[in-house]
Amino acid sequence: MTFKIMIDGQVHGVAILARRPHLIVEIGGHRYRVEDLCDGRSGPQSLRIDGQPVAFTRAPGAGGGVDVRLDGRTYEARPFDPAAEAAASGAGSDRVRAPMPGAVVVVHKQAGDAVRRGEAIITIESMKLQMALAAPRDGLLAEVAVREGDVFDKDAVLARLQPAAEER
Amino acid sequence: MRRIESSINTASAEFRRNEAHNRRLVAEFREKQEAARHLRPPRDLDRLARQKKLTPRQRIEKLLDPGTPFLELSSLAANMAYGGEAPSASSIVGIGIVSGREVVVRADDPTVKGGAWYPLTAKKIVRALDIAMENRLPVVHLCDSAGGFLQLQSQVFPDRYMAGRIFRNQSLLSKMGVKQLSLVFGHCTAGGAYIPGLSDYSVIVRGTGAVFLGGPPLVKAATGEDVSVEDLGGAEMHTSVSGTCDYPADSEEHAIAIGREIVSQWDRSERWALQREAPEDPFYDPQDIYGIVPDDIKKAFDMREIIARMVDGSRFHEYQPNYGTTLVCGYANIWGYKVGILANNGVLFNDSSLKGAHFIELCNQNNTPLVFLQNITGYMVGREYERRGITKDGAKMIMAQSCSRVPKFTVMCNGSFGAGNYGMCGRAFDGRFLFAWPNHQIGVMGGDQAANTLAEVKANQMKRAGGTVDQAAVDQVWEETRKAYQEQLSAYYSTSELWDDGIIDPVDTRNALAVALSASLNAPLGPPGYGVFRF
Repeated sequence: MTFKIMIDGQVHGVAILARRPHLIVEIGGHRYRVEDLCDGRSGPQSLRIDGQPVAFTRAPGAGGGVDVRLDGRTYEARPFDPAAEAAASGAGSDRVRAPMPGAVVVVHKQAGDAVRRGEAIITIESMKLQMALAAPRDGLLAEVAVREGDVFDKDAVLARLQPAAEER
Repeated sequence: MRRIESSINTASAEFRRNEAHNRRLVAEFREKQEAARHLRPPRDLDRLARQKKLTPRQRIEKLLDPGTPFLELSSLAANMAYGGEAPSASSIVGIGIVSGREVVVRADDPTVKGGAWYPLTAKKIVRALDIAMENRLPVVHLCDSAGGFLQLQSQVFPDRYMAGRIFRNQSLLSKMGVKQLSLVFGHCTAGGAYIPGLSDYSVIVRGTGAVFLGGPPLVKAATGEDVSVEDLGGAEMHTSVSGTCDYPADSEEHAIAIGREIVSQWDRSERWALQREAPEDPFYDPQDIYGIVPDDIKKAFDMREIIARMVDGSRFHEYQPNYGTTLVCGYANIWGYKVGILANNGVLFNDSSLKGAHFIELCNQNNTPLVFLQNITGYMVGREYERRGITKDGAKMIMAQSCSRVPKFTVMCNGSFGAGNYGMCGRAFDGRFLFAWPNHQIGVMGGDQAANTLAEVKANQMKRAGGTVDQAAVDQVWEETRKAYQEQLSAYYSTSELWDDGIIDPVDTRNALAVALSASLNAPLGPPGYGVFRF
């Protein structure tokens, strides 16, 4: 099992190679043997890495992470979640597509408008059902391709956000 | 599992408007429910007091373990039938805990026409016993009924699912090894006499309890014999001479105490081991549901926002999030119990139907109960979709759903129109429980659509017959159809006819499902396998 951890803004990959009889982890191509694991509680703690005792203090940190005080310095460590990473990047979600064929009832936003995730851009009607099509993420609207009364097929692109990269 | 990220703005004008609308609907529901439970003519309550009888709700309260939940089913049954004179179909049914055992409690209501059985009373009792059979739940009957409501006998007595079915179900329950106890507080007349007769155990109260096939007036008419109630079928006679009842009791409280002791002797059935985690409250407030469900049935909403307010920690593992997006499928926990959820986010297309069928198969393979959250206008129609086989893809979903071996639960969250009702485990598909929200509407189509369709049929008939169309007559058809539909589409009509197991406050959905899930674990999973899928 491999996970990523961010320490002071730097992402590190950590692979757990064994848990028994003692923990072996691989970080940056180097293997470490970790023994006498602490109990995970806040306060003064200690463990041994490759036989050397290491003493430190831990406290809960921001974003589900922990703050570790070691050798007079405080390090901010937080778990790095690949799913959250993917969601935040907003990849593949620039387009607002028609979930079903239908007609445009209301256009709420125009090209150039800033929208927040979940904010309605267009309301459509299909099979007697009105549905608000919402922005898939925060961003700027690059295009609204339909006007009120227009009809469209399923999967037609009705609006586009500016790609996230262009906004920066 | 990952938490759903809600996009709902609880400060928006739309949210506030929806919230006001739905809170009004829930208040109206609570008011109707309160009246059905407690509002009775003083005359009937006085009679009960004179006889030193408790009301059926007092009896239930004394029967149940203190501080345990009681899930009342179909509290508004018959609310639109018989001019409203049979509240709750004059019968109380629910699931509760007696001496530490989950049981179905079924009580006659002597405050309504002496506890007489209306046609919908029989339907409600049959349904209660179906629930007992499907979930292997023991039954406690609280008997106090004058017998069938004679004015409506043709709708109570003869057909397959009428009164006879009650006794057939009682017999089969016993054969399945599911226990039944009758506490006889009042009369058990005619067919009603078989309820204690077919129970494994029965307790009868001295002075007020009586069991007989024909009461004194009927005996007098039939044979000329003059006999008192006590002599004909009272507690002393049945517990010492006929052996029809087992235990005499000196008061209702005494009968209930004996009953609780009897239940405490019963072995507990083996529950199947559904995956379970430590329960956790939803991260998002279930009260938000009022602001999410729109004030107009024509407006769609994202069912993920509802799921986020129904499941543990608002956590949801969504299956195929990018395919067939009008059907949301995924795993979650409700009060710790693992479930697979299917929820409508629009009309069902070919891809959403296939996804639904596949997900149902996954849940059957993984021993995961299914929860259907309905808000469905139907399967997609039109030339292109027929050519792509929308009918056969919908059929696959219906096949997978019908043949499921895991328990199924359905919540009517908004609309339920057309064939979508079938794929999403409507009443006909033997889900273990089906609950509805007060805003729910159900029908083969909406009122406007039905009115348009029938008005067009009428106009075409006139054209074929004589050539001229009488617009006034067509408009009348439109108007009448729409009005009839409007009334029959409502959740109150639906629950009046027992097309569901009761209307619930949306906020209570999570708790109702938890009681239902827990009950379902008493019965073993059904046999595996499906019929022929049309590919």
